[in-house]
Amino acid sequence: MENFSAQLLATDKFAGLKDKIFPSDVIVIGGFRINDSVITGFIVVFVLLIAALILRLTVIRHWKTTPSAIQMFLEWLVSFFDKSADEMTENYSKLMGPYTLGAATYICCGVLIEMFGLRPAIADIGACFALALCTFLFIHTLGFAKNKFRRFTHYLNPINIVTDLSVPVSMTFRLFGSILSGMVIMDMVYILVESIWYFGLPLVLPAVLTPLFTLFHAFIQSYVFASLTLTFVQEAIETPPRRQKKPKKQKVSDGEAAGKQATA
Amino acid sequence: MELLVTMLANLLATDGALLGAGIAALTGLGAGIGMGIATGKAVEATARQPEAVGKIRTMLLLGLAFAETTAIYGLLVSILLIFVA
Repeated sequence: MENFSAQLLATDKFAGLKDKIFPSDVIVIGGFRINDSVITGFIVVFVLLIAALILRLTVIRHWKTTPSAIQMFLEWLVSFFDKSADEMTENYSKLMGPYTLGAATYICCGVLIEMFGLRPAIADIGACFALALCTFLFIHTLGFAKNKFRRFTHYLNPINIVTDLSVPVSMTFRLFGSILSGMVIMDMVYILVESIWYFGLPLVLPAVLTPLFTLFHAFIQSYVFASLTLTFVQEAIETPPRRQKKPKKQKVSDGEAAGKQATA
Repeated sequence: MELLVTMLANLLATDGALLGAGIAALTGLGAGIGMGIATGKAVEATARQPEAVGKIRTMLLLGLAFAETTAIYGLLVSILLIFVA
């Protein structure tokens, strides 16, 4: 047992962790750099496209009234996102439903690919920023498409500009931070497990902790990204309240009345 | 006294980043309190009106996501301080 604490405190083993915080460049051609997260991202996109093609050719072609398990799952998945898009963004649900489903699927699979030993595709600040920028574009194009020029009244209050600009930043760092923290903790666990080779811990510990730090984060973060996108779009396409002049006039008249009473 | 000051200065110069990382992890305090309050209120609301579970759940998850963001910022800052600074 003396060895146990000594092995735990062997800090030089964690030195390798430093290289894993930021993605390392694999291909460098001049100023054009490709890091390992980007490569994983392309693998994820390729796998998703292949899966979509296979599902389209096998399950969706033989769509039945008595559904199979895969058909039930697909129907539940698509209708879940479509329903929440319908509730939040009435007229644009046909645009927002597929977008949120696509973004959530990409985030979820991009994190879950960590289980195959690759670096997660979302653990790169560029990937998070790209997703957040997509949401930003959707928010503002839909806002201007719905409210036309009345949307500019939204910017009369300068605080609203800061609020709008902080949306992509906060979405980027939320996604990046949670995925990176899950990845760092799992890497730490792997390093610990490498140094402790008895009790059968190397088998049990990662198997217990992976669902906590990888699965949970993947599903929660993809759901949060989708619902935050829908909420911001809903805020943007709300029709701004028209100025009601009647209450103001009443107030003025009340004030005058009060003044007259005072003078009287 | 001077010795103490120089010791403190040395500590800040060598291990200041680690100290800062520890302080940055205190963001978990506020986020934990906020998330606890939000969850408690959601449980109360569900007990009062069990039909509205779906709406309460989505709102709770949104609120939790916002409250969690500050904790994640703190975590990012401390990770950057430990490994990059």
